[in-house]
Amino acid sequence: MTFEFMLCLGTIVVLAGIGAPIAYAILIAALLYLLAAGQGIGIAGKVLMDGLYQSFVLLAVPLFIVAANIMNAGTISDRLLGFCVALVGRFRGGLGHVNVVASLIFSGMSGSAVADAAGIGKIIIQMMTKSGQYTRGYAAAITAASATIGPIIPPSIPMVLYALVSNTSIGYLFLGGILPGLFMGGVLMAMNLWLSKRRGFALEEPVPLVELPRRTLNAFPALLMPAILLYGIYGGVTTPTEAAAVAAFYALILAAMFYRALSMKALYQILVESARSSAAIGLVIGGALILNYIVASENIPSLVAEHLVGLDVDPLVFLLGVNVLLLLLGCILDATTIILVIIPLFIPTCRELGIDLVHFGVVAIVNCMIGLITPPYGILLFVITAVTRIPLSEIIREVWPFLGVLVLALLCMVLWPGLVLTLPRLLGYGG
Amino acid sequence: MSRLPRLFTGFTHAVAAMMVALMFLTFILQIVIRYTAQLPWLADMFPILEPSRYGWTLEFCLFLWVWLVFWGNAFVVRQQDHVTFDILYNAVRPKVRRGFVVVFSVVIAVGLLASLEPTWSKFYVLRLKKTATLSSLFGDWVRMRDVYLVYALFLLVVPLRFGWLAYRAIRYGVSDATNEAMDPTPK
Repeated sequence: MTFEFMLCLGTIVVLAGIGAPIAYAILIAALLYLLAAGQGIGIAGKVLMDGLYQSFVLLAVPLFIVAANIMNAGTISDRLLGFCVALVGRFRGGLGHVNVVASLIFSGMSGSAVADAAGIGKIIIQMMTKSGQYTRGYAAAITAASATIGPIIPPSIPMVLYALVSNTSIGYLFLGGILPGLFMGGVLMAMNLWLSKRRGFALEEPVPLVELPRRTLNAFPALLMPAILLYGIYGGVTTPTEAAAVAAFYALILAAMFYRALSMKALYQILVESARSSAAIGLVIGGALILNYIVASENIPSLVAEHLVGLDVDPLVFLLGVNVLLLLLGCILDATTIILVIIPLFIPTCRELGIDLVHFGVVAIVNCMIGLITPPYGILLFVITAVTRIPLSEIIREVWPFLGVLVLALLCMVLWPGLVLTLPRLLGYGG
Repeated sequence: MSRLPRLFTGFTHAVAAMMVALMFLTFILQIVIRYTAQLPWLADMFPILEPSRYGWTLEFCLFLWVWLVFWGNAFVVRQQDHVTFDILYNAVRPKVRRGFVVVFSVVIAVGLLASLEPTWSKFYVLRLKKTATLSSLFGDWVRMRDVYLVYALFLLVVPLRFGWLAYRAIRYGVSDATNEAMDPTPK
């Protein structure tokens, strides 16, 4: 490691540490690096613009954000919940199950965990706490835990970002996420059932079965969305990026025409909001592009790889080690930062050790999503606190059991690559 | 708040919203054209559907994307929208926090401004480079430097915003632990 590189890292740590936006901290550090290395600081802008202007896959990011915002603004979320209550509300721990199932369905439409938590999560927390049989903390904790499934089941913004840094196929990554996502849903529901039994949460008034067809019909167009998306991508109708546009288009038609729940003014607000979040994410991506340029010119990945291969690590030990590291980093860092900045460091080593990059990607993303609910820095916990005013400490107290089963699920995915790779292989993935 | 800043904010927000909408519509257009292209008689009937006229859609979306990112960060993104690491920031006393804000604002403003001239001269050669497909949309004058222009705008506006942030922090302090209190955009 050269002096310039140390300077660069130091600057990022100090600037980000005192609260500067991470994207700007990286940008300034990159300028310092280039200055110290005598390369001319104009290169930073060139690398950044070239990178952003060439990565077609990134166009999916703003479009998935638009789609999620439209779904939250229209009444699509409410209709889905009505359907889920009729479906699984009758069992012990009913609304907890509703929460998980709704997240599973909703995650098939939006690409972002934060959108899931802020949209559908807010409504269901109100339902769970209104009747008084669940504590506020429990309702918020299971909502946060189930929102982590959002980016595992396609479509998924984090997977798009991973595809960008690892050059893997988005289509196979999306497929690889489906079984792990369902598995995570399963373990959360099991934990919910166990806790509800133990703590004696009261049963809900079951929705009569005759209601089910009507509610299904009401939610049907929304339920069709994941099917349309998957068919679009795997039927060869659209590219995964275009599927994002189709998702947004379909959500728009549903909200505006079918459910009549979207005004022009609301649509304008959605566009501005989407522009805002896209730009903020875009700048972090840009920063990561520059940082990756620096890391590459310092030859860091091959140095890391050389070191690890020299140590003769077992691939499994390496995977477990990386996962422990990512879990720890997830406690303090944002998922986008980890995917774009930290994960690229390990990719050359994965290639050397013969670890499948789709497997590694899905596992790493599940890991980062668990990081979204690990205290002290868990963005999902913050979002839920912000939209519901439930104190952070109450959520954190209740989140541990769910966190525990999610980490167990992650371990299963690490130990058993088939869980991730079966579906992609069935559909032609050669890895 | 006086009228002029409000008009200006309204305008910059409308431009950003329009970019998102255009990107979305261009994508839909691209998918539609790909399918109408399989039916040659359609293009014969409606010359506007002639697929060869739509080679620009992909690059136009990329153009909108980079403009969206830098236009957005110059005018639309608020301080609290950024990804930040705020554990330390929220833990310290307001007085220290104020110091933090002033330090990073000044560093960012100075750094970005200093890179403006070198960056622009790096882009200088791009005044000759034609874009791959955008000429068919904008006309023959368009060059890569016009696409990259927005980055220079970003390097100019963002330092102003951070300068303003530093000024406000010195003048009024940062009272709240949330970043909302230091929002430089006029509400």
